Amino acid sequence: MLLIRGYDDIALCVPVTEPYVRRSEHGAHWFLGLALRRLLDGSGLAKEAIDGLCVSSFTLAPDTAIGFTQHVGVSPRFLEWLPMGGACGVIALRRAARAVQAGDAGIVACIAGDTANETSFRDLLANFSTFARDAVYPYGAGGPNGSFALITDAYMRATGAMREDFGKLCVAQRANARRNPLALLQGELTMEQYLAARPIAEPLHLFDCVMPCAGADGFLVMPVARARALGLGFVRVLGAIERHNAFPDDPVQSRGGWAMDRDALWAQAGIGPEDVDVVETYDDYPVISMMQFEGLGFCAEGAAPDFVRRHSFTIDGSFPHNTGGGQLSMGQAGAAGGYLGLVEAMRLVLGAGARHALVSGFGMINYDRGLCSAACVLGAG
Amino acid sequence: MIRLQRCGSCGAAQYPPCEICGVCLSDALAWETADALPGRVLARTVLHHSNEPRFRPRLPLAIGLVRLDAGPVAVCFLGECEPGDAISVRARDDDTGKPLLEAS
Repeated sequence: MLLIRGYDDIALCVPVTEPYVRRSEHGAHWFLGLALRRLLDGSGLAKEAIDGLCVSSFTLAPDTAIGFTQHVGVSPRFLEWLPMGGACGVIALRRAARAVQAGDAGIVACIAGDTANETSFRDLLANFSTFARDAVYPYGAGGPNGSFALITDAYMRATGAMREDFGKLCVAQRANARRNPLALLQGELTMEQYLAARPIAEPLHLFDCVMPCAGADGFLVMPVARARALGLGFVRVLGAIERHNAFPDDPVQSRGGWAMDRDALWAQAGIGPEDVDVVETYDDYPVISMMQFEGLGFCAEGAAPDFVRRHSFTIDGSFPHNTGGGQLSMGQAGAAGGYLGLVEAMRLVLGAGARHALVSGFGMINYDRGLCSAACVLGAG
Repeated sequence: MIRLQRCGSCGAAQYPPCEICGVCLSDALAWETADALPGRVLARTVLHHSNEPRFRPRLPLAIGLVRLDAGPVAVCFLGECEPGDAISVRARDDDTGKPLLEAS
């Protein structure tokens, strides 16, 4: 196996969230700018100390990361625009860590965020990609609900997964959300309510679908020595992977790219799936969480329904999963959905005694499947 | 008539159409036309929600993934057919004149 440099000298610090709201009159610049301010407030750093920046957003257009630098008055010597949706958090971590190791930046602020209003989601869907615009959206404009319904339908037929299996994850995440003041959806959710919900795109029903919202998340990446000098608590990166457009010959998506790289991930981390205290998956939709359980080695391919039946997924369960409620209960603040699991895992490692956390990302339904897969293993500083 | 893009260099069929062959990267792409293309349904959903008001009178609306015998996978409107069924895919102009695929 190719030896890849690790991240031993890298610290992740100061997980921040600009609280999510259902709709906003503000633009994405406002949410990203306030997330950046939270990073400064949380670290005690001056704005000038941030010399690297990674930005992800769907609603910043016509701007990208470069225009944003002028909005917030920063002059970074390292700048990344990472439009990889649900995988952008882990990818930002990887880019920022390598820049710091190479000396191209001293401290990198990684931020993702979006606004939401009456038309933003529809505009985004109608022009999400050329393939979506030409060959998916004209077929009823179901958006991601329609695409993931097809993936879910095929997965259920292939594996015997039942709606109750998906429901078990959704119900557990709502229970987790009820302990999280940042979660937008706090009402109790029972299996009966889950099963009785109205259909959206069969076999998907209301509680399988994330609620689009506005908000932002972020964190800092710097050398361990710098974090210590600043007196900041930090999380280590034990391993990290990404893969794009994996398994293009699968007729329907039944797996992401994790299977191609998970051995490298666990080898780099020096631990195995059994050593992880908490797992944060990208949960848009529950079938994708199941594919992450399989792809990252928590169970065999096609065995996630049985895995779900054997485990409990609340924060005090046998397999603590999406411990802040996930996007299903926190809301999906656009590209921030790709950061949500990462900042949640950082908080658990920094403040709640978790020793090892697995964070996974998945993004970008370009045509019939999600193209980006990423994952990282975090450890206590 | 339904149109399918085929590479003049390696012979691969592709859908959705692109400007470059996704297998061999040739730009020698030609259109084949047929009354219908055979295929098999891979997955089905019934939409109960649409992001576009113009579709709302047509809900619930069945769409699916169809594996064309020629190779590619296409998103299609579905008639009365289920995953596993052998079907024919035809193109029908919608109200904007855009040809859309329908499997039956």
